[in-house]
Amino acid sequence: MAHSSSKQPKPAGPKSKTIGLLAQFDDPESLVAACERARDAGYQKFDAYSPFPVHGIDPAMGISRTRLPFFVLAIGLTGCLVALAMQYYMNAVDWTKIFPGYAFFISGKPLEISPANIPVTFEVIILSSAFATFFGMWLFNRLPQFANPLHRINRFRRATNDRFFLMVETADAKFDANRTRQQFEEWGATAIENVDLDLTDQEIPKFFKMAGIVGMFLLLVPPVMTFRAYGSTNRAPRLHVVPDMDWQDKYKAQQTSPNIGTDKEPVFLYADDRAMRAPVAGTVARGDLQEDDRYFRGYEPGTLPPPVKPVAAESSPANFVSTGGPNAQDPAPAVQDPATAGQYPGEPKWIDTVPAPFTVSEAAIARGKQRFEIYCSVCHGYDGNGNGLVNRRALALAATGQAQWTTAKSIHDPTVKVQPIGRIFDTISNGRNSMGPYRSQIPVEDRWAIALYVKALQETGIQPPAGAAVPPAAPQQ
Amino acid sequence: MHNTRPARITSPLISLSHGYVKLVPLGLLVAAIGIGMAFFFGTAAGGFRRFSFAYLTNFSFLLSISLGCLFFVIIQHLTKAAWGVTVRRIAEIFAMCTLPLALLFLPILVPVILGSSELYPWNAAGWVGEESPLLQVKLGYLQSHWFTLRWIAYFIIWGFFAWNFFGKSLKQDQTGDVKLTLKMQASSTWMMIIFAATLVFASFDLEMSLSPLWFSTMFPVYFFAGGVLGGLAATTLTALLLQRSGRVTDEITVDQYHDLAKLMFGFTFFWGYIAFSQFLLIWYANIPEETFWYRIRFWDPAWAKASWALLIFHLIIPFLGMMARTVRRNKTYLLFATIYLLCIHWYDHFWIVMPHYGYGIEGEAIEGTSGFPFSWMIDFPCAIGMVGLYVALFALIAGDRALVPKQDPRLGESLNHVNP
Amino acid sequence: MATVDLTSLDNTIEDGKHRAPLVLGGMNYSDVTDAVAGVWEKKQPAIWWPIFGLSVSLTLLFGALIMHLFFKGVGVWGNNNPTYWAFDIVNFVFWVGIGHAGTLISAILFLFRQHWRTSINRAAEAMTIFAVICAATFPGIHIGRIWVFYWLFPVPTEHLAMWPNFRSPLLWDVFAVGTYATTSLLFWYMGMVPDLATFRDRSKSKIGQFVYGLLSLGWTGSARNWHRYEMAYTILAALATPLVLSVHTVVSFDFAVSQLPGWHTTIFPPYFVAGAIFSGFAMVVTLLVPVRKLYGLENLITIRHLENMNKIIMATGLMVGTAYTIELFIAAYSGVASEQFAFYNRAFGNYWWAYFIMFSCNVFIPQLFWIKWCRTTPWFMVIVSIFVNIGMWFERFVIIMALCRDFIPGSWFYYRPTWVDLSMLLGSFGLFFTLFLLFCRYLPVIAMSEVKNVIPHADHGHGEEHAAHSAASH
Repeated sequence: MAHSSSKQPKPAGPKSKTIGLLAQFDDPESLVAACERARDAGYQKFDAYSPFPVHGIDPAMGISRTRLPFFVLAIGLTGCLVALAMQYYMNAVDWTKIFPGYAFFISGKPLEISPANIPVTFEVIILSSAFATFFGMWLFNRLPQFANPLHRINRFRRATNDRFFLMVETADAKFDANRTRQQFEEWGATAIENVDLDLTDQEIPKFFKMAGIVGMFLLLVPPVMTFRAYGSTNRAPRLHVVPDMDWQDKYKAQQTSPNIGTDKEPVFLYADDRAMRAPVAGTVARGDLQEDDRYFRGYEPGTLPPPVKPVAAESSPANFVSTGGPNAQDPAPAVQDPATAGQYPGEPKWIDTVPAPFTVSEAAIARGKQRFEIYCSVCHGYDGNGNGLVNRRALALAATGQAQWTTAKSIHDPTVKVQPIGRIFDTISNGRNSMGPYRSQIPVEDRWAIALYVKALQETGIQPPAGAAVPPAAPQQ
Repeated sequence: MHNTRPARITSPLISLSHGYVKLVPLGLLVAAIGIGMAFFFGTAAGGFRRFSFAYLTNFSFLLSISLGCLFFVIIQHLTKAAWGVTVRRIAEIFAMCTLPLALLFLPILVPVILGSSELYPWNAAGWVGEESPLLQVKLGYLQSHWFTLRWIAYFIIWGFFAWNFFGKSLKQDQTGDVKLTLKMQASSTWMMIIFAATLVFASFDLEMSLSPLWFSTMFPVYFFAGGVLGGLAATTLTALLLQRSGRVTDEITVDQYHDLAKLMFGFTFFWGYIAFSQFLLIWYANIPEETFWYRIRFWDPAWAKASWALLIFHLIIPFLGMMARTVRRNKTYLLFATIYLLCIHWYDHFWIVMPHYGYGIEGEAIEGTSGFPFSWMIDFPCAIGMVGLYVALFALIAGDRALVPKQDPRLGESLNHVNP
Repeated sequence: MATVDLTSLDNTIEDGKHRAPLVLGGMNYSDVTDAVAGVWEKKQPAIWWPIFGLSVSLTLLFGALIMHLFFKGVGVWGNNNPTYWAFDIVNFVFWVGIGHAGTLISAILFLFRQHWRTSINRAAEAMTIFAVICAATFPGIHIGRIWVFYWLFPVPTEHLAMWPNFRSPLLWDVFAVGTYATTSLLFWYMGMVPDLATFRDRSKSKIGQFVYGLLSLGWTGSARNWHRYEMAYTILAALATPLVLSVHTVVSFDFAVSQLPGWHTTIFPPYFVAGAIFSGFAMVVTLLVPVRKLYGLENLITIRHLENMNKIIMATGLMVGTAYTIELFIAAYSGVASEQFAFYNRAFGNYWWAYFIMFSCNVFIPQLFWIKWCRTTPWFMVIVSIFVNIGMWFERFVIIMALCRDFIPGSWFYYRPTWVDLSMLLGSFGLFFTLFLLFCRYLPVIAMSEVKNVIPHADHGHGEEHAAHSAASH
């Protein structure tokens, strides 16, 4: 550190070395003249010191123009590119996996580089140029340099006040202790002194070594604490530093209803103790209105017959095993009268073409096939002939009396083949006899696809391979 | 310390002397040919309307240069500047050119008085369609008689101001009276204020009212920025040419060219800042009432290229090209640079004025006009002709008078001026 | 040609042949050092302590109110619907505007070789830094969810998974004000290094030597270093000039890019910049008149310096007045109903009194500076400067209050500031003055090295040639 003021100039001893000769001048003009003479005398390693930049000293010393401006220009242009790239990356695209950009439209401004990106670009150019100027200048000047031997010279303190100095280094080729001193006197120096480098200045003070060691140990504390916490458990709840609207005054779905009385005499706002209220009667969620009877239910609108009161004895929860006795059959007549084909008493008028939002295409049939094979083939078989694994197993069990089972209908059965596609849809949606409803498992569009596939399968008239087990007719018991 | 140069003119000639005997008729001849060609081919292509648009572009260009030079003169006195004393006389002469420009304004003014709405659509009765009480001020302002009175006032004011500085400076050539400098300094204060006011409304009248439904409070500043740039370029170019011809030897030093170049650099940037700000604000808010002025300059494919060209050639290239210290002190480079800047300043006015030839008051395309309205037979000769006329006017006003203020009290400082 | 009388104390006399001396009293280099270092070496004037105490207490008030704001939310302010921006943005623009004068003095006057800036640039730059600090607190605290303030910067966050919207003027503000603060700080510090070296060499205490030694980076005044230093100074000045234009331009964009009548007008950028310089210079005058008196710096910060500043105040005030006129004219000319109403409302609506204050303080009162006595009498110019600052605060207030009466009459509502609003404004002044007083106490208030370059040297026998040569246009 520069302890310039209170120390006396040290004599040149074993721990110091003379590195230059210093001349003092009392006004800037004589300094400039001396510098010119020094330059003309061939000195290279010399420097002048003044409290302010003296006019004319640069050419007098032969100082060439610094390259700082080019450095600044380069950094500034880099800053420009970085700013543009940054804005593009962050606002226009999402290329990277980690910390991707987020392209969002706001107030109609374009995503990619537009006039709206210019202000930030401009500021970044200025900022980067300013940093380059500031740090570049100190770098080029090789500052900070705290231990300059000049600071040990008492009279040099006036270099920042009102005196002017010229120093020639002993390392200069033309330096000669006597001749240089003589030249200084000729050039009008008012004082001449040796500049001594105190070699102890080069050593790092003991304090720093101690502080460094202590500092290293202190720096180990945070990672040690971190690892300790990492390896241990703690029953206390976490610190919730950033509230972030996590505790809000509103009531959440499963909470109890608020107490609007006192603790001693509680009065709950809602009698059923829930904070949550049911939606208003008749509320329909978005997308749940499902007005289109054809699409959602498979029949012509307005053809739904009034509901028939169920006869008490026959009402029973649906179960997988038919209550109509083992192997009960579909009560529909075996053969449909062509005149009334498609009409089933007590049932609405089923549609026989696919409804509007759904279109027939190869993709639709492929989808239907895929879905059929997932949901339906387990009972009805891949070819629709009723030879699915579940059906065969169940029939086998029923044959031994371990289960009661109604055989899965073959879709190639004539009674099924005459059904309009709307009824097929209804069967899939709501079930039929012992077949359960698939409404909750299969979305509407897929149900139509399956119905379409069923019709396509029926067209093929595919028979099970010869020799494959055809579900035997249930033995009459 | 240094050799201090004495406060004296050392050039043997220091005036145009008999140069103007050649320059004036030459300039008038070029003007006649150029403007004549423009008139002939212009009226053939699109009637008098086509010619008036070309003429207005060039008139605005020349007026902006004169006003820019007038500003330079006023600000030099206002700030007691010494560096520019040796080039100030040139600027004073250019500022004096506003007086003959009053006559040159007649081809624009007389048709307006006679009721023509070919150039300024607001001169037609019922131009605004449905009149509403909101438009009282606009309809009252944009009327041919007020227009005429305003322009008479502008030219009187500008002429008076220019003469104030030119006349006193000339008198000082003879008497060397320091009090004249103090008087010019004192008058420059209130003259600057009135000059600003006239500039604001002149820019509205001259170029903003070509599109009477459009408005921008920044427009006068835009006109001002371009004008000062043009004025500086014209002054520098004239100084260079006078030095080349030996009229002025070393009175105008490299350091003064350095300063002029720095100012041109600064005003290039300032122009770019103003132009960009005006554009950005209108683009960002995206209100159709304002954006159509830019829309006709960007959606038309030919004008879109022209607008990009303006950005690149008026801002980016001069900015990069005038940044380095060495080029600012190189006279050959400056010769080309100032010619370039004058051309590009002309192009700025072309870009402001000409789109309104092809597009009407609401930005709708006008029938009968098609293609990019630049013709080598109309606009180019008009420009050359008008510039020739301007040079003739310069020579006429300069006459036998000194081209450098011989006894300005700050001449010594100016001659010794050093740019570190 | 008579030589200039250097011992006279009045350098405001106009003499066409000579440049007025910038340093009076026949000071030489060491006199300059003694005068400026004396501010720091000698005891502070007695009045420093009470003013400092008051400033510190206002700063603490400011801090306490900020904490109050963080815990209770933005509702403690009077912001309502539709005036969702009020004192927060007015104070921000006010302080940022004040900061611009420092950079203008440092950078733009430097580029124009106005040597009279050397006595005032250090204090003005300090004022800039402190004003920008005050300015930056307001947008910083008004964001509501203060704990996610870092979303303003382009730092990657898991929490948000989003980046700032670079197309928004509010974000341009973040970059502009941040760049401005950083660059001003760099410029100010760089300028101070030679003077800090002077302090280091004069300091009597170990702590002083250590601290100033550290801050002055080992500066020796080497000519080779000065060369690069001067180049860096010029480059920073050249960078700071467009920067100062751009910062207040970007601030004006906050308003002008909108579609609100009275806000969306293209002249806002240069108009705001002129207004900023206007209020900034007024604040510099307000600060420097007491400083020069209390610390005995009248020979360095002379009446001419003050007069020049007052002339700039007048010039920029007239620019602001011109902008008012252009705006009013175009509002009438444009035929846009809401624009015409906005201006009518400003003058005759709920806040007519604010408009009246603004107009009289910004346009009429500075005209007093046409009178020479007014612009060369220190106590009078302080009064005018204070009025100018009041007027400029109200200008921003009047602009923002356009929100009160926007497009739908049904949403019109009167805005009233709360006690928190007013106290925070007061508190920001406390912060500003605290920092400035500390600056006076511990740092060099005048750029000694720069002033030494402009001392007139009649005693070296070169007479007025030398004066003409060493001090160009001022």
